[in-house]
Amino acid sequence: MATHMAEPAAGGVETTVDHLTVEDRVWLLRAMLLMRGLEERAMSLYRQGRVPGSFYDGYGQEAVSAGAAFAMGPEDRLCILHRDLAAHLIRGVTPTRILSQYMGRAAGITRGRDGNVHFGDRKLGCVGMVSMLPDMMLVATGMAMAFKLRGEKRCAMTWFGDGSTSRGDFHEAMNWAGVQKLPVIFVLENNQYAYSTPVDKQFAVDPVERAAAYGFVGVTVDGNDAEAMFEAARAARERALAGEGPTLIEAVTMRMHGHAAHDDMKYVPKEQVEEWRKRDPIERQEKRLRELGIDIDGLRASIKAEIDAAAEEALAGPMPDPATAVDGVFCEGEAEPLGDGQAPWSGFASDGGAV
Amino acid sequence: MSSSPTDVLVDVTMPQMGVSVAEGTVVGWRVEPGDRIEAEATIAEISTDKIDTEVPSPASGVVAEILVPIGETVDVGTVLARIAVGDGSGASQPQPLDGDTAGAPTTETKSSSPSPAPAHAVRNGDRRYSPVVQRIAAEHGIDLAQVPGTGRGGRVRKQDVLAFVETEEPPLHIESPYRPEPVAPAAAVAPGPVVDGGGLSRMRRQIGEHMKRSLDTAATCTTWIEVDMARVQSARARLGVTALAFVSRACIDAIREHPALNAWLEGDRYTRHTDVNLGIAVSLGDDGLIVPVIPRAHELSVEGLAARIKDIAGRARSRQLTPDDVQGGTFTITNPGQYGSIMATPIINQPQVAILDFEAVIKRPVVVTDADGNDSIAIRPMTILGLSWDHRALDGALSAQFLATVKRNLESVS
Amino acid sequence: MPTLTYLQAISSALRDELRADSRVLLMGEDIGVFGGAFKVTDGFVDEFGTDRVMDTPLAESGIIGTAIGAAVVGMRPVCEMQFSDFISCGFDQLVNVAGKMHYRQGLAVPLVVRLPSGGGFSGGPFHSQNPEAWFMHSPGIKVVAPSTAEDAKGLLHAAIHDPNPVCYMEHKHLYRRVKDDVPSGVYETPFTARVAQPGSDLVVIAYGAMVPVALEAVSDGLDGASVEVLDLRSLVPLDEEAILDSVERCSKVVIVDEANATCAAGAQVAALIAEKGFESLDGPVVRVATPDVPIPFSPPLEQAVLPGVDRVREACRELLAY
Repeated sequence: MATHMAEPAAGGVETTVDHLTVEDRVWLLRAMLLMRGLEERAMSLYRQGRVPGSFYDGYGQEAVSAGAAFAMGPEDRLCILHRDLAAHLIRGVTPTRILSQYMGRAAGITRGRDGNVHFGDRKLGCVGMVSMLPDMMLVATGMAMAFKLRGEKRCAMTWFGDGSTSRGDFHEAMNWAGVQKLPVIFVLENNQYAYSTPVDKQFAVDPVERAAAYGFVGVTVDGNDAEAMFEAARAARERALAGEGPTLIEAVTMRMHGHAAHDDMKYVPKEQVEEWRKRDPIERQEKRLRELGIDIDGLRASIKAEIDAAAEEALAGPMPDPATAVDGVFCEGEAEPLGDGQAPWSGFASDGGAV
Repeated sequence: MSSSPTDVLVDVTMPQMGVSVAEGTVVGWRVEPGDRIEAEATIAEISTDKIDTEVPSPASGVVAEILVPIGETVDVGTVLARIAVGDGSGASQPQPLDGDTAGAPTTETKSSSPSPAPAHAVRNGDRRYSPVVQRIAAEHGIDLAQVPGTGRGGRVRKQDVLAFVETEEPPLHIESPYRPEPVAPAAAVAPGPVVDGGGLSRMRRQIGEHMKRSLDTAATCTTWIEVDMARVQSARARLGVTALAFVSRACIDAIREHPALNAWLEGDRYTRHTDVNLGIAVSLGDDGLIVPVIPRAHELSVEGLAARIKDIAGRARSRQLTPDDVQGGTFTITNPGQYGSIMATPIINQPQVAILDFEAVIKRPVVVTDADGNDSIAIRPMTILGLSWDHRALDGALSAQFLATVKRNLESVS
Repeated sequence: MPTLTYLQAISSALRDELRADSRVLLMGEDIGVFGGAFKVTDGFVDEFGTDRVMDTPLAESGIIGTAIGAAVVGMRPVCEMQFSDFISCGFDQLVNVAGKMHYRQGLAVPLVVRLPSGGGFSGGPFHSQNPEAWFMHSPGIKVVAPSTAEDAKGLLHAAIHDPNPVCYMEHKHLYRRVKDDVPSGVYETPFTARVAQPGSDLVVIAYGAMVPVALEAVSDGLDGASVEVLDLRSLVPLDEEAILDSVERCSKVVIVDEANATCAAGAQVAALIAEKGFESLDGPVVRVATPDVPIPFSPPLEQAVLPGVDRVREACRELLAY
């Protein structure tokens, strides 16, 4: 039974992981630092009135997206959610475009048509999310279905939260993926709260158990360990490509900020927040890398510089032209499928994106 | 401390902490005017319905002024303070959110395609005219009061005004050269010369003299006959010509059988003409009337006659007739029917021996007999043709026969 | 040129597309082994296999959602809702994911949803609906509704070739009752209206099963009047030019909807005519539609609500006399 203080199961491994080189492990930290730094900068811009609408971040759960996305190959496809910014960064979306997107500028990925993290660069193989959750689980299932029908060695990954496991689309997607044995990886970010609703109001069983009910593997992972997340995703991808069907990865983590910038999360017990602060994913990865002699301060400085430059460039960009507001409802030319994204993991360096 | 004149002032505004938040309260200032502040450092604390939070400085510089004191609640977007960012400060100067940035194109929103100005629904007494009826009437210069309506409650339908247009006359009335111009009558009629001490124009007096002389000269009688115009009506609609054209052709054909009607009597000299030079009386409004002539009208078909009638009537009204146009007529038709009058006693146009009067066509109940000899009542469009004839040259029987032939011709139009 | 029923024409289009384009995939409940509830895909599995004629779980949201996923990675899914009524279970995926995707993300979703629609056979409230207005109202979704066998095939080919989500409203009542000559092979019918019968005194505007109803209503010559029948065929995009042209020539309009009257497709047509065709009108814009009731089951009740030949004829007669 899930509680407020859910512990990660034994799936989380603290020490060296076989499939990661040092560069890989630095990449993971880099992605998390960039995510956090960008979100902090965007939050500041939000408080300056420069980001319209609402602002969401994944503070404290950066490892969930960084680790899982790192295991995805260039031809794999991703449905990324609002607390998974690191996944976009790993695929190759630049910080300038992300900040432009938050500020509703013309240079944003959606050119002002959708806000905050409701974006996906189609050229990098990412599908932009909708607000109805977890609709994207079905889209990812469908992508996996196409890969299987065509006999392609590719998989799809989708993220969703504890709250959305209560909706019908979760069950339809899990069932469909299980029945058809599809190469899809379902990443459940169990961060303990859906807005103000704690998990004990959301499900009566730990959702990882549902994988079995739908006929496939479910694993619980320490969501604040980027390398454990990577390993779980890598293994799930291996299973998928071998034709063994879907995996549900329950990433246990904690939402360290409110639901959105306008939420001060008063409903979360202080002790819970304090407990999880000790398990900050970035601090953990930095600790590992310091032991390997990596210059963490240098890395942080270069990331800050990168973010500063991106902010300056994004702030200088124009707002979208109102005359274009009604354009683009329909595709007028040929339908272009999603393109391939970056896949920095060393395991893909050899041809064919091998496991 | 005042900022130097070369400084740029950057606003610090109340942010919107959540989509539904409209205002916030300043609960703390971390700076005073004159203090230096770095970008991103906290400059103020605010409280809103949703959350209490810090406001980071948007720029590095010197605080120029604080506009909203602690405890005051202001709308989202209100300027709370200003920071002077001087030259060489090295700080980034972020552009404001509202997009007044270089490169933001000013565009006008696309205007929606203009809708046509709606026609006003015009009321004429109890009558309302629909937009399309109005439009067609305006295009053809038609007075809708003249158009009979066959729609519900007698309203003028599109078909009614179109039929009116096609025949240039009311469907149950006849094209008449007496019909005034569509434009205001005052414009069409040139005012006649003013005569001292007299009220009649010269033309009016001339016409009067001619008419008097005719009555003094000829032994004028008038005979009438009723004609069922149903076939003419449908042929007319099909060909798009006036009923007058059909009547003209019918008269010409009847003259073939009764040539005595196509003659001149000048004193003792009696001349029958083989050519039918058909005179058509045209009303000139206050100026009276004139009778231009279609020479050799017997050579024209119904459509040809219609065209010539239209032409001479138009030229008559616009005063473009030549003296030749009014000479040589051998038979005249007068057609003042659009006002609804049914019979008249026309005066013969000297030196001719007869004149045919064609008045209104009116729907009447009539007795019809079928092939088996059974009688019933039917509604038919009927007209009464009147022939005034000179008893010096003709007699009643001849005149009646002529009229009967005209009737037969009209009632057998195909 | 073979004579096909409306249903055979749909089958023909699907078969020709499966043969011509390896990206095409049919998805629906009971369409594979069983051949479909209406036998549209009867025998397809033998030629194309169960992968391409997929028997899905009973999950409308699942069907639409997975079809979206397949479409964005290069397939051309043609989903079937067993009855158009069940689209409400997949509404969210269709309207929020598929419809808005290109506008927001520049990502095209080339997807067709076949929707067997309409009543007239005691199907009751959940098997008789005409839900097209819901999707006319949702940006990013095209909607077509054939009334002839020839158009059924041509519009389906065009829908499958279109890079956008298309709702294909196939009317169950027309499946076996409508037959015409249908060209063989792949051809496209444009998303425009069609003059089913030219006229000049009044135009009846209709689509789907209401087109044959309109044609029959005006066939005995309404006292010699010349009545035009305009078959809309495409609801999104709506052929404004054709509608306004008919109105300009005829000046009197009767619009027929089998769907519930409020905010039906005909309401949009009426608004368009009132705004842009005002100067051509010689009478009020008249609508004949099913009242705002769930479609009842028992035949006398159902016949009382669905627009039939008599109601349409009467409306035309009255308006002609106006």
